[in-house]
Amino acid sequence: MIILVLLIATALAFDFTNGFHDTGNAMATSIATGALKPKTAVLLAGVLNLVGAFLSVEVAVTVTTSVLKVQDSKSGHLLPGIDPSMGLTIIFAGLIGGILWNLLTWLFGIPSSSSHALFGGLIGAGLAALGSAGVNWTGVTQKVLIPAIAAPLIAGLVAACGTWLVYRLTQKVIKKRREDGFRWGQIATASLVALSHGTNDAQKTMGVIALALITTGHLTGDVKKDGLPFWIIFSCALAIGLGTYIGGWRVIRTLGKGLVEIKSPQGMAAETSSAAIILLSSHFGYSLSTTHVATGSILGSGVGKPGAEVRWGVAGRMAAAWLITLPSAALVGAVTYFITHLIGGYAGAAVGFLLLVAAAGAIWLQSRKAPIDSSNVNDEWEGSLTAGTSEKAPTAKAESTPAI
Amino acid sequence: MNGWINPTAVFQIIVAGLIIGAGLPALFSIGVRLNAEGVGVVSHDGAAPQKNPLLNAISWVLFAVVFAAVVIGVLFIARDFIAHNTGLYLLGAPHKK
Repeated sequence: MIILVLLIATALAFDFTNGFHDTGNAMATSIATGALKPKTAVLLAGVLNLVGAFLSVEVAVTVTTSVLKVQDSKSGHLLPGIDPSMGLTIIFAGLIGGILWNLLTWLFGIPSSSSHALFGGLIGAGLAALGSAGVNWTGVTQKVLIPAIAAPLIAGLVAACGTWLVYRLTQKVIKKRREDGFRWGQIATASLVALSHGTNDAQKTMGVIALALITTGHLTGDVKKDGLPFWIIFSCALAIGLGTYIGGWRVIRTLGKGLVEIKSPQGMAAETSSAAIILLSSHFGYSLSTTHVATGSILGSGVGKPGAEVRWGVAGRMAAAWLITLPSAALVGAVTYFITHLIGGYAGAAVGFLLLVAAAGAIWLQSRKAPIDSSNVNDEWEGSLTAGTSEKAPTAKAESTPAI
Repeated sequence: MNGWINPTAVFQIIVAGLIIGAGLPALFSIGVRLNAEGVGVVSHDGAAPQKNPLLNAISWVLFAVVFAAVVIGVLFIARDFIAHNTGLYLLGAPHKK
């Protein structure tokens, strides 16, 4: 029971970091172009994520089943040979892997996929518990790896074409009028991205919680037909909405200022491309990472604008972070599983949870050395995330990663 | 489903993505441009621009089309919710048994 409570708390914490990490996907462009004041933008995104989460009626049962072989993909019941405590510990350790990777990438202002972090954590914990047989490798390739390569490319292509057309068609319009006009379009399409983010991503956490409750027998009946208990929907919606509102300013800064100097026509083209690709792929039954799509779109909007500068160095670092997201989160997931499992029982789960709190605290303290918030998110980009944003920044950056 | 990717679906997403994802900003651009011409603020060669209510009206129609597309997007996101609560199956919401 205690592990169940800790698991739900951890799942909600993951949901929170998910919102917090991904605010930039929808709002970075609107903040960078001044279409919305930073605080207004995060408030809008937060509310839309909250509303979006309430729009979910079906659970995403596929979160765990697409990468792990611990549960039946239809009913959510554990496969034979896996006892509830082991199943819960795997999910618990996986969530911790996901949260820590989300926080670490946030510290460096890298927009990496929250879903990948969660998948990575789960894979690591599954490997640690069951070995290679516990992982659904086909699912990992089909549903995680291939979309991760395809999504940014397709989104980038569409955004580049859109941006090019936009600049071509509005050449003769005076700049001020053009910028003002596109701000409106940009806000509308960015809102669409935020709403769909709430629906898709909150659903994942709801799925994880529902599966845990099914495992322990606390949730019976047909979840698909009867829907979820209200408290699950409510708490997940609240967690992701709050997370989004708090705003991952570091990630927002990289997306809005670091990659490309973005203007409102590019912003609108990028957000329309993101919204279109996310909705179309869900129509065709694929679930893409909002982060990968949004990042691809923003890069594309830099490629498509004549004479715009794209900071490929920043993009390269980001791509590298994407590559190591799965293995790194997996490593944390596996280590957490070993610790939790070796100590065992309530004590194990409690130790795992305390380690999470300690590591999260350390990362937060590190971030305070060169804080980025609504006041300096739009400062000129001077070579790196924190350069020039505060007096203490240069020294703070040199210190290494917090220990996990 | 042979192999790991479904080329047809990927192709469909690219084509539809280009039509919607690049087409809507293009429509919006034409709107911005016509609107500027209609109100008479195109920055050309300094010749006194004239107002043109027709162009202005067309530009608002284009804005309305883009706005309608956004509304359709919202309905698409909410389609399961709407189907679940009202029994209205919009935009291909899957039927549940």
